[in-house]
Amino acid sequence: MSPPPSVAARVATWDAALAAVRAYFRGEGLREVMTPPRVPAVAIEPWIEPVPATPGWLHTSPELAMKSLLAHGSGPIFQITHVARASERGAWHREQFVLLEWYRLDGDPADDVAALVARVLEALAPWGRPSTPPPDRWSRVAFLDAVRETTGGLALRGDEDGEALTRALAGAAWSLPPLRTTDAAARRLEAWTAFFTAWSDTALDPWLAARAGAGEGIHLIAFPEPLAALAERSLDAAGRSTSGRFESHAFGRELANGYRELRDPIEQRARFAAVAALRGAYGAPPLPMPEAFLADLTSPGLPVCSGAALGLERLVALATGDVALVP
Amino acid sequence: MASVDVSELKKNTKIEIDGHPYTVVEFQFVKPGKGQGLYKCRIKNMITGAVIDRTWRSGEKFDAANVESKQMQYLFASADGFTFMDNESYEQVELSSSVVGDDKWFLLDNLAVDVLFYNDRPVGISLPSHVIMEITDSEPGVKGDTATNVTKQATVSTGYQVQVPIFIKVGERVKIDTRSGAYIERVNG
Repeated sequence: MSPPPSVAARVATWDAALAAVRAYFRGEGLREVMTPPRVPAVAIEPWIEPVPATPGWLHTSPELAMKSLLAHGSGPIFQITHVARASERGAWHREQFVLLEWYRLDGDPADDVAALVARVLEALAPWGRPSTPPPDRWSRVAFLDAVRETTGGLALRGDEDGEALTRALAGAAWSLPPLRTTDAAARRLEAWTAFFTAWSDTALDPWLAARAGAGEGIHLIAFPEPLAALAERSLDAAGRSTSGRFESHAFGRELANGYRELRDPIEQRARFAAVAALRGAYGAPPLPMPEAFLADLTSPGLPVCSGAALGLERLVALATGDVALVP
Repeated sequence: MASVDVSELKKNTKIEIDGHPYTVVEFQFVKPGKGQGLYKCRIKNMITGAVIDRTWRSGEKFDAANVESKQMQYLFASADGFTFMDNESYEQVELSSSVVGDDKWFLLDNLAVDVLFYNDRPVGISLPSHVIMEITDSEPGVKGDTATNVTKQATVSTGYQVQVPIFIKVGERVKIDTRSGAYIERVNG
């Protein structure tokens, strides 16, 4: 094992990575923005806990503030910022980490992920080498197709409610624990989130790791509608209930998550409410509805746009093989 | 009883599961994107020593195990078990033969051991990593056979039987590993 890089080498590595990211996005016509890290309300998520910063919280992502900028006419934008998520500590998790987040009015952010990986790898070549194969090609795999392929044929439609999904998974390695929520929308979200967690851990991750080992990057696209989070919903060609959410995986790791953005304020409020009910059933602290953001979705309204967020430490660590890069 | 959230687990955290105290040996946090965090743990039953793997989801809670370890001195064996004494309070506790198990072979008079208490009940002992014991019985080595890998059976003062090199004689003292039960070396003087 090689000795850890010096502080000077790490500074040079990060300087090169940040310069590569900025050069790429400016070349694509995006402008860099900064939004405050302390916010009055965060996007309400099932298993992402914000760190309190009274009055308010540290942002868990700059998503709502950046979408407000878009609603007010910013045009395509990107941001590089520290975010905080309580109790996420592990080999690939930090409670504070650098998120690269961007929004564009046209074009596909999944293509940006592939391009960014290539640019950062090239820029960091003098500072280290990946210890797992970097992607030399990218594929798009629909979520429900990946489920079928990795489970020996489990065919889900994407619109199963909590009871139907529980029945469909009974007896499988991904069978669901009893649901705790009572509201139908919350039960559906709870069931699908529990399935996604168990299936990711036991079936999807090994499958992704095998594909990554062969030099393939994967965009897992068309997440089922209950897992849409902040993405617009849609029907796929097979009539399945999906959404504009995707996740990008390279080097066998999840790198980015993105959406074709949901613009409907009524549906957005209902989704936040379902998450809040799920959080309540698991004893997570209550969070306020992000009213300012919802008001901006109503008027002036979000333009048609897509966005994604990428964990920059992970990319830099994977590109240089220095997993302790961020102490 | 104090409650421990799964997110507070780390190595050596002591928790109670199904009425047994466990200590966390290994710990890994994984989290699929926007999924529930998973805590993959290897845990050791503090009474039986059995090691098992368990995965918990974020949000789960445990009772903290009320476990305490006290250094005590071994006094004597009786028909019912083995008696130890706290050197500060002179309080004596008796552990049953089933709890002490094979550790009994290394209990020399006055040996200092860590006695483990669970809910104020003695549930196990933790021996020093090695003990020094006297050979009480062994066949003499065959003259001229000096190869170092040749061993013979010997008995030590507690009755424990151990394989020792052929040059070891009755009355000599040897160092024995309490985990493997194996001979380590001869102790001179």
